[in-house]
Amino acid sequence: MVSKTASRELQLSGLVQISDPPPRGPVAEVVERLVYPFQHGEPPEPRAPTGFFTDTTVCIGCKACEVACKQWNQLPSDGFNWSGNSYDNTTELSATTWRHVKFIEQFSGESSSNRWLMMSDHCKHCLAAPCHQACPTGAIIQNEFENVYIQADICNGCSCCVAACPFGVITRSEMGGHSHKCTLCYDRQRDGLEPACAKACPTQSIHFGPVDELREQARQRVEELHRRGVGEAYLYGDAPTETYSEMHSFYLLVDRPSVYGLPDQPYNPWLNMLGDYVRSVAGGLAAIAVLLIVVFLLRS
Amino acid sequence: MNGYVNIPVTKAPGWHGIIAWDALLNGMAMGLFLCAAVSELAAPAIFSAVAKVAYPAALVLLLVDLVLLVTDLGDPLRFHHMLRVFKPGSPMSVGTWCLTIFSLPLTAAAALSILAGIGFDFEWARIFAVIVGLVPGFGAAAYKGVLLSTNAQPGWKDARWLGGYLTNSAILMGCAELLVLSALMKHTQATAILRTAFIVLLLLNLIPLGLLFRNLQPTHARLYSREQQWRVGILIFTSGALVPLLLTLLSGGLVFLFGSIIFLLLESWIVRYVYVKIPHTRGA
Repeated sequence: MVSKTASRELQLSGLVQISDPPPRGPVAEVVERLVYPFQHGEPPEPRAPTGFFTDTTVCIGCKACEVACKQWNQLPSDGFNWSGNSYDNTTELSATTWRHVKFIEQFSGESSSNRWLMMSDHCKHCLAAPCHQACPTGAIIQNEFENVYIQADICNGCSCCVAACPFGVITRSEMGGHSHKCTLCYDRQRDGLEPACAKACPTQSIHFGPVDELREQARQRVEELHRRGVGEAYLYGDAPTETYSEMHSFYLLVDRPSVYGLPDQPYNPWLNMLGDYVRSVAGGLAAIAVLLIVVFLLRS
Repeated sequence: MNGYVNIPVTKAPGWHGIIAWDALLNGMAMGLFLCAAVSELAAPAIFSAVAKVAYPAALVLLLVDLVLLVTDLGDPLRFHHMLRVFKPGSPMSVGTWCLTIFSLPLTAAAALSILAGIGFDFEWARIFAVIVGLVPGFGAAAYKGVLLSTNAQPGWKDARWLGGYLTNSAILMGCAELLVLSALMKHTQATAILRTAFIVLLLLNLIPLGLLFRNLQPTHARLYSREQQWRVGILIFTSGALVPLLLTLLSGGLVFLFGSIIFLLLESWIVRYVYVKIPHTRGA
C-alpha cells in the first residue's frame, strides 16, 4: 500500500523539471534504457575510509539525527504511528528511514539500577558487506570512502541485499521498487561536509571521521568509562570477529547487543556459500549418475 | 528490560509464492533438459525421439519461469541490469548468467528439434546445442538452492542441504516429465528404462530431503507445533515418495505414471512453498 504522502511524492516526481532532458522518441528512450546501465564511469580515487562511532551512553533520544537525515536526503514521512514501545514510534529502519533512535526502558524496584538506554541505529557500512556481496547488478558498491553505497539508478529491486543483511538495514521501497539505505551522506562528504545526522547531534553521541581515528577515540572512551565505574561498556563492530568483518559504523554499548536489536554474534552468510555449492552440485551429479547407470544397464 | 531482544533483527525480502513457483518451474525446466540430454547422449537410438519433444517443452517451462523471475523484481523494466556485471560471489549473478547462456543452446535445440519434426534435420547442430547447454543448464539448476541459503534470514541461513535437495529434485522431476512424455509417445523401451530410473531417483531424493529437514528442525520447532510438523511431514512423505512409488510400481500405464508425477509435483511445490514462507511465518 502506497501511503497518501507517497502518492503525492510520486505525483510530484512525475512533473516536468527544467533540468529534465528534452523529450525523445520511444525508440531512443528504449535504446537509452538498454544501453545506460552498461556505461561504466571511471571510479574516483580512494580516500581515507570514513565512518561513524556512536556512543550510546550520551544519546538522549532527541531524534534530531532522524530529522536531519530525513531533511537532507529528502525522505518522505512514514506517517504518524503509535507503536506502544516506549518513545520508539519510528519502529525500524526502512527505505525512507535511514536513522532510527531506539529506546530501552530498564526499570525495576531497585532505583539504583534503573536506567534508560538509547541508541541511534543506521547502516553499519560493513567492510565485507553481505549486501554488497549479494547484489547481482553491481548497484551496491564501496565508494571512495569505503562506505557501502547503493546506486539508485542501477538497482532493479531484486531484494537479494534485503535477504543478505544480518542487521535488517536495507529495505525495498514501495514507491520505486528499489532498495535504499543510509549513504553516509556521500554527497556531503564529497563536498567536505560531515553527514547531516552527526552535524545535528547535540550531545556528540554520533561521531563522524576517518575510521582509524574513530577507533582510537572509541577505545579511549571505553577506558574512561571503565575508570568511572561503568565496567560493562564495550565496543560493538570496531574489530573483525571470526564470523564477521569490521564495521565502519560501530557502537559503544553497555548491555548485550540483542537488547539494542543487534545480533549478538553477527554472521556473514557467505562463509557457507562454497559448501552449499558443493552440496548442490553433488546432489545433482548423484541423480545424473543414477540415471546414467540405469540407462547403460537397461539399454540393451 | 530486554529492549529489542524479541523483535526480529533481519527483514524478510518480498519473496512469496511467486518464488516457490519459480523454484518449481526452474527445477522442471532444467531437470527435463538435463535428463533428456543425458539420456539421448547415452542412448540416442532409444531416447532421441522423446528428447526432441522434451527440449521445446523445457523451453516453454523456462520462459514461464523467466517471466516469473522478472515480474518479481521491484522494477521489472530494469531486469537487464543483472547482466551489466558478473559476480561469482553472488549466487543471483551466477544464476542469471547461467540462465541467459543456457537459454541460447536450449532455444537452438528446441528449434532444431521442431525443424527435424517437419523434415529439416540438422542432427549434428542439434546435438552440438544439447552438449553446449549441459554445463550452463546444470548451473541454472544448482544456483537456486544456494541463492536461498546464502543469506541472513532465519531458517534459510541454516538450510545447508537446500541446494543439494533442489538440484536432486530437479533431476527427479525431469525424469518424471520425460517418463510421461515417453509413455505418451508410446516408446516402450524408453518408458521401461525411465520408470526404473524414476523409482531409484525417488528413493535417492529422500536423502537430501531428510538432511534438509534435519537442518531446518530447530526452525520448524520454533515456528510450528509438533502436530503441524507431523502433518506436513506425513503429507510430504506420502505425496512425494510413497504414492508416486506405489503408483509407478503398480503399473507402467499412462494414468498411473501421470498420477505419480502429479503427486510428485505437488510435494515439490509444498516443500518449496513452506521453505519460502519461513521468514514470513511467526511462531506457533
